[in-house]
Amino acid sequence: MADLSVDIAGLKLKNPVITASGTYGSGKEYGQLIDINRLGAVCVKTVTLKPVAGNRPPRLWETPSGMLNSIGLQNDGVDAFIANDLPYLAALDTPIIASIAGTSVDDCSRLAKMLSALPEIDAIELNISCPNAKAGGVIFGSDEKLAADVVGKTRLATTKPLIVKLTPNTGDIAAVAVACERAGADALSLINTVLGMAVDIHTLRPQLGNVVGGLSGPAVKPIAVRMVWEVARNVGVPIIGMGGIMTAADALEFIIAGATAVAVGTANFVDPQAPIKIIEGINQYLEKKSIATVSELMGALKID
Amino acid sequence: MHQLTARIVAKEEVSQDIFRITLFAPAVAREAQPGQFVHLYCGDHQSYILRRPFSVHRLVGGDAFDVLVRVVGEGTRWLAGRRPKDSVDLIGPLGRGFNVDGQFSRALLVAGGMGIAPMVFLAGKIAENKVKVYTVMGAAGRAQLLDFMDLKRLTRRIAVATDDGSQGYKGLVTDILSKEIEETQPERIFACGPAAMLRSVAGISRRHGVPCEVSLEARMACGVGACLGCAVQARDAYLKVCSDGPVFTTDELGW
Repeated sequence: MADLSVDIAGLKLKNPVITASGTYGSGKEYGQLIDINRLGAVCVKTVTLKPVAGNRPPRLWETPSGMLNSIGLQNDGVDAFIANDLPYLAALDTPIIASIAGTSVDDCSRLAKMLSALPEIDAIELNISCPNAKAGGVIFGSDEKLAADVVGKTRLATTKPLIVKLTPNTGDIAAVAVACERAGADALSLINTVLGMAVDIHTLRPQLGNVVGGLSGPAVKPIAVRMVWEVARNVGVPIIGMGGIMTAADALEFIIAGATAVAVGTANFVDPQAPIKIIEGINQYLEKKSIATVSELMGALKID
Repeated sequence: MHQLTARIVAKEEVSQDIFRITLFAPAVAREAQPGQFVHLYCGDHQSYILRRPFSVHRLVGGDAFDVLVRVVGEGTRWLAGRRPKDSVDLIGPLGRGFNVDGQFSRALLVAGGMGIAPMVFLAGKIAENKVKVYTVMGAAGRAQLLDFMDLKRLTRRIAVATDDGSQGYKGLVTDILSKEIEETQPERIFACGPAAMLRSVAGISRRHGVPCEVSLEARMACGVGACLGCAVQARDAYLKVCSDGPVFTTDELGW
């Protein structure tokens, strides 16, 4: 068995495979199908201060090698999360990453403060990249100055590792990444979904009730690998890479390109066993190549 | 809820592009309730990756069950192309089915098109509780009128509507529903079919003061309540078709 453990800004993971926010509910939805304790960490669905109803259906559209979604950060608010979801998560033997989003800088810092006070939460992921929420969300993530402002103020509100989730829907993701690092992010996770759209040619209407949505799945993987590589060359903080990871080979691409850990999202819908298969596959690869630890592979990309 | 590899033990084309596929999965067959569904991985291909949901159509012995598959795209074409002894990856049984334990002695089943899928299972289950079962079913034509003989056997009265008039009334099931409600005096109505039909059934049921449950369809990703992709607008919030449903009372939906 190779050493799969990784360290993300002091957060120790037994392996580098995390379930991506928004695809894993609050964990218990998958609890009957897999042993969640085997995961490196669980990143739960984004919570906001007040309940969010979410976008008008239809919210899903399948596309070649991927899917569009326009959920719109539907959640029951942070109080309901703490009351209803946290007890299940607290009983798990794997780190819990809480994902937060707000419509204002003040929302984000208040959420970070509330959740940081809870011993069950091991890290905070600040989602400044949801393409489906009208206010906040991606507005912060697509601009260096706004990103730096919200990250800086959220930084002051928490002593836990602060991960900032970045959007690919911006001109220069490396510049936003650098701004977040300077403002105090302990780690970066990328990519959120790629803004997309589909049209029903018979009804002349958009396939999604929200008109546009976020593309995920294997279709976005090459974009995501490129962005992880680009960000990794420009920042010193650890990166959680994600975007279309279905197999161990996909995950290894991200790690070699510079990610310390990876997150599995859409693949959970296809096969709930995917994260476990990916952990096992990474181990097999390392053993076969006689690489003692997964961290040796991080950023090991060779360019001739 | 289980994830397992189910072996296909039989497949039959019951109408053009509609297949009945028998899956051997004892754990699922033992737990399934009428109106629940299974989420099938439809392919070893790279291009379409999401699972497809299918109602548990009927139990076959104690260890297997049927699904009804209409070929509408890549996933269902792949599934319809499987043969006995092939396997499919399955998650199920999923969702909340029809409330068969309610206190009622007369029930009317309303099925439109592929909405017939859960009805034989449902009719059999409630008939066990000595409930008098009646059926109204509709389809494009006689050839698409699936399970007619089985439902005829399980129910005391069966009314048929076809779009082309090739069997029964020429028109929609909802055209003849009021009359059937008056004739059969049901205490519950259970409906499955296209969304527009279900809306109409809900309205007619309400006018007759009969509690109604409808089984909805939606595009799904996870199938287990995690992704919130299959939301349906209910009375005062979005509900999840996959795990709050797929069967809802029309009161819950505010219909």
